[in-house]
Parts: sequence; C-alpha cells; structure tokens
Amino acid sequence: MTRGGRSWGGAGLLAALVLYALPGCAPGFGAGTAGSTDTLTIGAYSVVREAFHEAILPAFAKHWKATTGRSVRFEESYAASGAQSRAIASGFDADVAVLSLEGDVSRLVKAGLVKKSWKDGPHKGMITRSLVVVGVREGNPKHVRGWDDLARPDVSVLYPDPKTSGGARWNINAIYGAGLLKDKPTGGKPDKQAGRDLLARVQTRVVNMDASGRQSMATFERGTGDAVVTYENELLLQRKMTGKEAPYVVPPATLLIEGPAAVVDASVARHGNRELAEAFLAFLRTEEAQRILASYGFRPLDPKLDPPGRDPLPPRLFTMADLGGWTKVNAEVYDPGGVWDSLFTDRPKAAGRGR
Amino acid sequence: MAVAEPKGRSLVRGASRPAGGLLLRSASLSYLGVMVLLPLVALGYESTLPGTAAFLKALSDPFARHALWLTFVTAAAMVVINAVTGTATAWVLVRYPFPGKGFVNALIDLPFAVPTVVTGLMLVALYGPTSVLGAFLDRNGWGIIYQKPGIILALLFVTYPFVVRSVQPVLLEMDRAEEEAAVTLGASPFTVFRRITLPTLWPAILTGTALSFSRALGEFGSVVMVAGNRPLETKTGPMYIFGEIESGNRHGAMVVSVVLLACSLGVLVVLNRLQRRGGEPGHGR
Repeated sequence: MTRGGRSWGGAGLLAALVLYALPGCAPGFGAGTAGSTDTLTIGAYSVVREAFHEAILPAFAKHWKATTGRSVRFEESYAASGAQSRAIASGFDADVAVLSLEGDVSRLVKAGLVKKSWKDGPHKGMITRSLVVVGVREGNPKHVRGWDDLARPDVSVLYPDPKTSGGARWNINAIYGAGLLKDKPTGGKPDKQAGRDLLARVQTRVVNMDASGRQSMATFERGTGDAVVTYENELLLQRKMTGKEAPYVVPPATLLIEGPAAVVDASVARHGNRELAEAFLAFLRTEEAQRILASYGFRPLDPKLDPPGRDPLPPRLFTMADLGGWTKVNAEVYDPGGVWDSLFTDRPKAAGRGR
Repeated sequence: MAVAEPKGRSLVRGASRPAGGLLLRSASLSYLGVMVLLPLVALGYESTLPGTAAFLKALSDPFARHALWLTFVTAAAMVVINAVTGTATAWVLVRYPFPGKGFVNALIDLPFAVPTVVTGLMLVALYGPTSVLGAFLDRNGWGIIYQKPGIILALLFVTYPFVVRSVQPVLLEMDRAEEEAAVTLGASPFTVFRRITLPTLWPAILTGTALSFSRALGEFGSVVMVAGNRPLETKTGPMYIFGEIESGNRHGAMVVSVVLLACSLGVLVVLNRLQRRGGEPGHGR
C-alpha cells in the first residue's frame, strides 16, 4: 500500500503541475514573496472552484488587507478530492487543503503533513455543508419523493461509481444510511440488513455509473435517467451558473455532507506563512464566507444563515457520525467483500429487478 | 501493419552487413526495449511481487473474472463482424469505381484520429435516449447504450480501419489472372471468391482481426462512456483496472492488466507464426 501510495502520488503531483500550467488556475508559479505581498497556495477539490475563485478568495484578500495592510496572492489548484489529496501527500506544497471527504485529510495526517489535531477546532474541521439529494426531470414526472421511489421499476437512476469517485460515497452512504437508521426515530437499532436491502433495490435501477459526480450530472443532462443522486450544492451551482432550473427532491431521510479544510503544516513551515494560512481557515468559518458559500449552493455551518427560499432541512437528517463514522462505514461497505460488493455477488439472477 | 514481416527479415539480412548495420540494429532494438519492453517488464515484475498465491487470488476475484470474460466476449463479437465488413469494404474500394472514392478512403482512417472519449459521446448522442433512434430502440426494448451491444459498437468503431487497411493492399497487388481463368472455366463469382480470392486474402484478414482484437482488449475511453459500468454486468477489463487503481487496489488492477497484455501478445505471436507459414508460400524458412 505504501508503495502504491508513493507512485500514485507521483501521478497526482504531475496532475497538479499540469493544473498549474493552465491559465486562470494559477496567477504564477513559485513561492516568491515580493514586497508587501503574501502568497497562499490552495489545494482544493473541484466543486468549490467557482465559489473560491470568484468570491471567497477576493473577499479574503480584502479582509487580509484591512487587518494587516498586506496584499495576498493566491496560487490555486483544483482537482478531484482524492487526486488533490494524493498530490499534496506526494509533495504538492499547498498551504491549505480544502477537500470533500474526511478521509482525504486523514491521508495527509498519515503522511505527516497535517497535524493530528486538525479536527479539534470549531465544527470538527469542517467548513462546508450540503445534502445528498435527488435531481429529477422538470416537473418531477415520476413523482420521486424519497429513496424507495428510486427502487421502482419505472424509474432509472444515475450515480457515480464509488470505486472511482470518493465523493460518490456520500451518495451511497445516504441511501444505505436511510435504510440503516430507518427505525431509529422510534428507538430502534441500526439495521444493517435494511440498509443493504434498500441499497440493493436502488442499485438494480441504476443504468450507468460514471467515474465522477460531475460526469454523472453531465450524463443526466444528456437525457439519460429519471433521477440522479447528487449533492444539493452541485444542482444549486448549476442553477446559478446556467440560469436554468435544476429541479431536485430532498428525501425525508438523507445525509448531511460535511467538507473539511486543514492547514498543511509542512507547507506553511516551509513557506513561513502559517499566520496567513490560519487566518484564511478562520475566515472560511466567518459569517461573510459562509454567506458566500451559501450563495454558491452550500448549506452554511450555522443554519440561521440559510438563504431565504432554500428547502428546510429534512426531518430525518443524519450525519456520518450517526452511521458510525467514516472508518467504520468504509470497512463495512466498501472494503472487498463488504456491502457494496455483495450487491452484485449476492444478487439473485433476474429476481433483483423491481420486486 | 501488414508490412511488419518484411521489415523483420531485412533486419536479419542486415546481419551480414558491417558496422553501420550493427549500430542501427542495436540502436533500434534498444529503443524498442526501452520504449515497449521495459514498461511491460516492470508491470509484470510488480504484479508478481506479492507472490503467485496473491496473483491467483486476485485473478479469482469474481469481479475481475467477469470483467475479463466480458472483454473477451465483446472483442470476439467485434472481430467476427469486423472480418466480414472490413473485407467487404476493402473489396468495394479496390474493385469498384465510384464517385468520392478518395474521400471514402480518407474517411476509413478517421476512427484512429477521433479521441476515444469523443467516440463514446457520439455513440451516446446517436443511440442514447435523447435521439430519435435511441428512443425508438428503447421503446422496443433493445437497449444499446449502457448495455453490452454498446460496448461492441464502440469497439467496432475504434478498430474499424484495421481489417480494411490490411486487406486493401493485398487486393491491390493481387494478380487477377487466376480469377479470370476461373471465370473462363465457368466458375460462379462466389466460387471464384471462395476458391481463389479468399485463400489469398486470409493472412491479411487474420492480421487485421488480430490487431483489432488486441486493440479491443485495452479499449477504455469509448467503452467507459457507453457501457454503464455495472459490475458483473457491463464492466469490462480496462474499466475494472481503472476502478481498482482509483480505489487503491493496485495489485488487482495489475494482475488483470497482465492477463490482458499476455493475451494480446499471444494473439500477435500466433499471428506472426501463421503469417510466416501460410502467408508466404514459396519463401519457406
């Protein structure tokens, strides 16, 4: 595994460098700190690109200028969360890592780049929130309301492959968790069988599993499928960017997505910009930054900041902690021979369809 | 493609030449070694590092086995279709005059130039649910996109030039005296084709199909767009490899890669043998 990690990191690093070469991704390369300008390198996952590049970074630059009188120059890299995490682990010297999964930060902790205490701060290291929702066609012609509807034989479903997309695990976990915690409101225990069962029934209706969430959305837009399991912020961002309606349904029982950010200790030590990086991380949790993130489709950490018109949080919202945490769920669902594999290996031939 | 054999022999002939030949020989062979052989050896070596038991265990994984099986079956289906349509296309191009021939001739190589992901996109646009054709097929229950036929269609597109381009030059150079003699002796056109033309074309058809088969075993970009990626249903070998790499199972991915590559190599070696024996009667060895 360590061998694999290293060589894959090499590929990730290369990808990060290529990203740097793209115009618009990075104003320049090199850690030169000229005059009264500070430099902050940000390694983020692609979903936050619009929010960061257009709004968060300019707002922080203004904030930094007002408090310290110094300018700040950003070097930005955006990639899929797993690829970004591997790139940083193998040497991409981002000062701040903004990723979609806790596990992608854990990789940096394991590599000795991020302090073990990164989760001790406010909101346990998380800076963005969103919901797993179901995108539907205009007017919701199939009357999709919740996960059970995705198992109906007349509904075809899209979600990305959790093998290739770390973010896809949010989607799968939402469905699995809804089954798992079905009896919880009435005081029942988590029912692993019910979780697997719901997931298995939905999986029989899945027509295509794309490599990433974005690709899954693109397939949906090209006309495939009646429903796409995705993040609320993806759909709201699409609405903001294209001006087109992106109708969706919030299932009554769904998962709260929490995206982490952390200061990369090794990088700020080298660049000597710890103060700046920590100020940036703190800024991300301010009301100003949270309002910006909300305007790009995220749910603010403080529900009071929810923009008007947003659907209320669903009645049976649950978190990864309710499911036992990432480590437990990863082992239970995604390890070889786990729940995910069993969906395919233990499927009774043909009997799986419909039910 | 079909010229690989003569090149090989000219290398042997170079053996009797002095220094210049030796330099060229060692340079080109080292190039082949560094560019092709070395990466393959590295892959093979790393895949066997955890030991034979681990290798076999990775290979016995039901997901890996099914992915390999699906890759072979779809490639085989493609090869059968390609052998027929490719030969027919080459035949038409060589034997019949028609307007726009130059354009058609250029069109044949286009699948090599199209990025494979774009091939997938085109197929989805043509047969997907939003197209008239796709909607019609869907209503009648003939799923193509995100089903196995979609995989075969994608393979057919990306490997299309191989058979045509192998058969075409042979047809062009063919001495037609034998065919004409057969016709004057009263043979039907079909008999002439079966008894005279086809035996001459066989080695070329074989070359084309073997090359397309090898190519199909590794095809990823177009297939991933149209297959649906459902494990134990429509996930092919290359898609399995991608998934396992992304989810951290590097060894499982390597083992499947090694099997696919070994099969490709096997097909090409066998082809070379057959060609040497059947393709060049009279030259002997």
